[in-house]
Amino acid sequence: MADHMADKDGEARVRIRSSADIMAARQQGRALASQGGFSSSDLSIIASAISEVAQNIVQYANSGEIIITLINNTTKKGVEIVAADQGPGIGDVSRVMRDGYSTGKGLGIGLPGAKRLMDEFEIASEVGKGTTVRMKKWVT
Amino acid sequence: MKGTTVNHRRRELAHDYALGLQHYLAEPEEPALARAHELGRKALTDGLGVLEMATIQSQAMSSVLTGSFADGDQAHVLEALEKFFVEALTPFEMTHRGFWEANAVLHRLNDVLEGQAKRIASALHDEAAQLLASVHLALADVASRLPPDRAKELQAARGLLDQIEQRLRNLAHELRPPILDDLGLVPALEFLGDSMSKRWGFRVMVQASIEQNLSATVETTLYRITREALTNIAKHAKATLARVSLQQAAHQIVCSIRDDGVGLDATALVNGNRSRGLGLLEIQERTAALGGSLRLGPNEPRGTDLTIEIPLER
Repeated sequence: MADHMADKDGEARVRIRSSADIMAARQQGRALASQGGFSSSDLSIIASAISEVAQNIVQYANSGEIIITLINNTTKKGVEIVAADQGPGIGDVSRVMRDGYSTGKGLGIGLPGAKRLMDEFEIASEVGKGTTVRMKKWVT
Repeated sequence: MKGTTVNHRRRELAHDYALGLQHYLAEPEEPALARAHELGRKALTDGLGVLEMATIQSQAMSSVLTGSFADGDQAHVLEALEKFFVEALTPFEMTHRGFWEANAVLHRLNDVLEGQAKRIASALHDEAAQLLASVHLALADVASRLPPDRAKELQAARGLLDQIEQRLRNLAHELRPPILDDLGLVPALEFLGDSMSKRWGFRVMVQASIEQNLSATVETTLYRITREALTNIAKHAKATLARVSLQQAAHQIVCSIRDDGVGLDATALVNGNRSRGLGLLEIQERTAALGGSLRLGPNEPRGTDLTIEIPLER
């Protein structure tokens, strides 16, 4: 089913094309983050953020990739999640980051929700080229 | 109608949730957890609250826990139940964090608006009043050089100017009582107490201990609330004494206004006594806008105790 692999220590790449792949990405994220020393509730939070960015790929770009990497600095430990697609891109990034733009009802889920769950969040997008979300969470 | 739909959705969700939980217990893998996340998200968009989620979890739990487990199993099952529940609650965590952010933004916005009100108030109060004073002088000058019957016509115009001045003054005061900037909050409250006392004939004692500078918004709110509360007392309480107390506690400011009057008539509040009800409503709204709370109850040995607590920014 999902074609994903943990190609080296501390990194996992998952192709995202369907809901089944979202689960694979969540699982890889959870497994790596668990190795990285995150608490059990942080694991749920990381999986949740992965769900949101992966959902975004399935919904708007059809396909893309999620790359999960453990960060092991001398000062900080954490996990980085990059969600990249070659979809239609977003013309006005600040607009999608506003609550209620894509997910309706202003509930703060979707990309803005993922941003709130993580410690760092960047989004870059170009119309016609695709979108890349890069987010990090640190072990506390 | 709406209630039925919500109930229907809730039942449907509870059903799916119980199924999802059973799947997770049978196969504790990511797909079931992803399902928990989805169900949580759905619950959220359907308008269910965290408490309802707790109920749904608890019902699903009792449905899966009907069988008996060996000791080792039980710990395993309990852990699984918790994991599934946490997963379903993460979407709520997202929104919850969103509300915190929005709240902080609203607070900042409130401060910005207050600053604006302050500037407009001082423009009205000082600049416009000065201009009007010059117009008065100019008119007086013209009047002095006119024959008496023509000067009388000007008098009417000067009367209108007086009205404008009064209105501007009131408006400025509504926006931001200038006395707050001239004297500071506590002297302003004392001054307010004195003037209420002179006008209505009951004593007003003001006692305050505040350590830090309060934001303009909090100051204005406390001033307006006190004014509103004292006006209520003047109009309805038949009191001889009102005590205004302002205390800074840890992370909050507590303001209480107590009187020794006839006390609170709850039915009058709800039904007949519109003016008092409206005043209270305003106090309540002003307090809520700052994330504060309000308590209204009997004062010992008699009268009414209105206490407001407003959190201070950390």
